[in-house]
Amino acid sequence: MLVKRVAAVIFAFALLYPFVGLFVPVGPWRWGDGAATVDSVRVSLLFTGIAMVVVVVIGTPMALYIARSATRERLWWQAILLVSVLLPPLALGILLSLAFGPHALGAYLERFGLKMTNTPLAFVTTQVYVSIGYYVLGAVAALDGVPRTLEIQGGLLGHDRWSVFWRITFPIARLGFAVALSLAWVRALTEFGAVVITAYYPAGMPVALWTSLENFGLPAVMPLLVVFLLTALPLPWLAHVLAQRRTARA
Amino acid sequence: MLDAHIVKRRPRFTVDVAVRVRSGEACGLFGVSGSGKSTVLACIAGAEAPDGGHVTVDAVTVFPPPLPLHQRQVGYLTQDANLFPHLRVADNVWFGLTNGNRDANAPWVAELRERLQLGPVWQAPATAISGGQARRVALARMLARKPPIVLLDEPFSGLDRHLVRELVSAIVQWQADLRFTMLVVGHESDVLERLCPRAIAIEDGRAVQDAPWAELRTKPATPLLAQLLAPL
Repeated sequence: MLVKRVAAVIFAFALLYPFVGLFVPVGPWRWGDGAATVDSVRVSLLFTGIAMVVVVVIGTPMALYIARSATRERLWWQAILLVSVLLPPLALGILLSLAFGPHALGAYLERFGLKMTNTPLAFVTTQVYVSIGYYVLGAVAALDGVPRTLEIQGGLLGHDRWSVFWRITFPIARLGFAVALSLAWVRALTEFGAVVITAYYPAGMPVALWTSLENFGLPAVMPLLVVFLLTALPLPWLAHVLAQRRTARA
Repeated sequence: MLDAHIVKRRPRFTVDVAVRVRSGEACGLFGVSGSGKSTVLACIAGAEAPDGGHVTVDAVTVFPPPLPLHQRQVGYLTQDANLFPHLRVADNVWFGLTNGNRDANAPWVAELRERLQLGPVWQAPATAISGGQARRVALARMLARKPPIVLLDEPFSGLDRHLVRELVSAIVQWQADLRFTMLVVGHESDVLERLCPRAIAIEDGRAVQDAPWAELRTKPATPLLAQLLAPL
């Protein structure tokens, strides 16, 4: 037991070790551009929140469909989802800007006043694209842990699909859903490579980090890093806490 | 009246069985393991999709097209209790009853709890009870709704004889009181005979005989059936 605990502590230490960098002397910390920093936090949290709503609303029924489909069809879906996850973010950003650019769908969207470069819409669309694969893959794995026979029993006990999902499927799979959502949240919030191509403005925290580094150097990056940590961590962690507490109660 | 004709392709053979059970009657599906009995029951319940045939319950078409599970007035109990692991025993039993009909069914649920000796585990998590208790909870949960059709798939396998005797006598009494139509799958003829006056014998996906037990014993249609019904 002691050996396992020591190994776990070493693992945790290794994971947290890079944060030692926060204490390395880089000169006095300072806000590069205070207003821009606050704005980048607001942009990141607000747009990532919107993106997560879209991800959950679209991703959950998709995950249900994939989890309950035949093996062969499932494999195709998983390949499609992996494509969106595996591409390097920068390449993804280039592809997105081309696919939604004036020579493709962008021309049609602009007729409806929808601009897909350097707009909140471009920002959220990119975030949804880079994170939804993680959410769906995670949610499918969570749903795989719910025996189909329980859902069948729920149906035969008079509950329609919606009720069966909320009263049986989701409560059993909630921890997996929490993991899937937190992965998607972190992926969307920290996205830089794709967002910097499709939506340099409005600048979120990752882009603000980059511009602070470029314009003011490391001393301006450090406080932003702390803000980043403090704002990015609570929501996914809260999802885990809630899921664990409900599991413990059940 | 339950009127079903189930066609379902299996790797070894195609199950092709017709079943007719009058309202309030109990009928057994008897045969060796792997003969297709459970497939017939699963297809009638809706747990599996038949490849062909039909299912009607009291002139209501259940298949084809498949009626959504929640609209089927069917209780289905399998070898696995399939309790909802995140709920307590009480919540499992009440699961099929909506808030509107809870008060009216409270005496009935109390009877189920009493008769199936669930009192001591009533507030326990479903994951914290024994296999035998779980099977009794599943029976209570199914019967709480008083379904007009009850499908039992070897519900007593793995339970000790004492418990089986108690459960069988409880089900026989409830079937007589509530007059539900019952179809029971089993491969132990003595248990099945206590529950159902007649049985359909199934071999390799085909019904080989449909008769009262006395006839099955005296004039078995196949050598395998004769072997199954022969005293040890």
